[in-house]
Amino acid sequence: MKEHISALMDGELFDDEAEAILDKLKRDPEGHEDWLSFHLISDALRQPDHVSPDISAALRERLKAEPTVLAPRGRSAQKVRWFALSAAASVLALAIVAWLSAQVGPEVAPQIAMQQVPGNIRPASANMDDYLMAHQEFSPSSSMEGMTPYIRTVASVQGGRQQ
Amino acid sequence: MRPWWALSLLLLMCGMRPALAAGPAQMDLDWLKTIAFAAHQTDYSGTFIYQYGGHVETSRITHITDQDGEHEKLESLDGPHREIIRNNDEVWCSVDGHKAVQVEKRHKDRAFPALLPEQLNALSENYQILTGPRARVAGFDAQTILFKPKDNLRYAHQFWAHTDSGLLLKAAVLNKHGQVVEQYAFTELTIGGNIKPDWGIPTQSAVSQAHDAHLVPLPGAGVQVVSSGWQVDDLPPGFQKIMEIRRPMRSKKTPVLHMIYSDGLAGISVFVEDMSDDPDDVNPTLTSQGAIQVYRKEVDNHLITVVGEVPPRTVMQVADSVRYAGD
Repeated sequence: MKEHISALMDGELFDDEAEAILDKLKRDPEGHEDWLSFHLISDALRQPDHVSPDISAALRERLKAEPTVLAPRGRSAQKVRWFALSAAASVLALAIVAWLSAQVGPEVAPQIAMQQVPGNIRPASANMDDYLMAHQEFSPSSSMEGMTPYIRTVASVQGGRQQ
Repeated sequence: MRPWWALSLLLLMCGMRPALAAGPAQMDLDWLKTIAFAAHQTDYSGTFIYQYGGHVETSRITHITDQDGEHEKLESLDGPHREIIRNNDEVWCSVDGHKAVQVEKRHKDRAFPALLPEQLNALSENYQILTGPRARVAGFDAQTILFKPKDNLRYAHQFWAHTDSGLLLKAAVLNKHGQVVEQYAFTELTIGGNIKPDWGIPTQSAVSQAHDAHLVPLPGAGVQVVSSGWQVDDLPPGFQKIMEIRRPMRSKKTPVLHMIYSDGLAGISVFVEDMSDDPDDVNPTLTSQGAIQVYRKEVDNHLITVVGEVPPRTVMQVADSVRYAGD
């Protein structure tokens, strides 16, 4: 799941895959946590000065939720869930540190650059076909595959391009 | 059968001992040349499926060569009827029985097959080339060849080439997780024999006079080779500039600057045009279809459009490093 979330944030998934993951995230609180923490991490990497107060704020929120754990156990699924969440929060704090130290490397920068984009992904306008055609003319795929790759450009006329 | 296994083994050994691997096995590069040759010199006609994401469609392609050169027709069998007709260096496109509009006029200098030796070198520097097991596609025996990128700025490509003619029977583009990004495969195919075109091949005079009733020529002046002063600073390793041209485009009043880069297997096009032609589109936008990504953004009051058969991060990296370095 973590790998999928990371791929989603990096803009490496396709429409249907991304939708499936987003659906899963909605239903799966743990996945949702990962989603939030990954964003927190990337925010932290991008603007370390601004984010650390938010992390502690988030943890304070979690700590406020702690007392519910003291209530008799097993009453309701809801409480079990809160316990799990607060436990997850502590693990999360550790995980963030571990993740941060593991992730500091030359690979970090491009990954961060990537995730600013998905919000701006839009369907291509019709005149995009002209660019695709023009590109196809010189693409090495034309020398290897003849005209078959042109199907990419005609396929797009039908029903609009994805993403 | 046996030599292929021996070759695969040899390649494996090369892979394990990169220090000793002086270059790719010549056999693999020979395969590429055969594939490129077959794509343009073979007469064939067949039906193929094209698939990306959840999208599948069927098309028919016929390719013939005669004393006048190459003639080709690609038509969709699903959805609205779309047709692409190519006559040597000219390409027309028609949708739903409308007049065929010329969308391309290839540059005269460019002749197929266009796999240059430098491109082959670039290929082996940036991809691990592996011949795989034999397979069957559309009833033909095929040799599989896998191009595995050495970085994650490009996709992996897998080819299934007809063992006799070298014609590609199937091709797939894979991402770094090994998942298929897009693929096409023939389901029925006739190679060689007496293949007749079922469309009117335009004669040279008809094309030059543009009197042919169903063909609309590309407006504006022809393609010009230029040196504009625009440049890309951060291309992935192995991408070389193939050409820089100004080209007319149907929807544009003025010709568009088009810079073309290739690593031998994937192409990246960088288009530069004045913002005044398309003032409404200024936010950075990424669109994609199968293996093709398109990223647009504004740079110095110009609209930059990067198109390539590469992962999203690569088109973005390229677009982000475009700048005007002229006077």
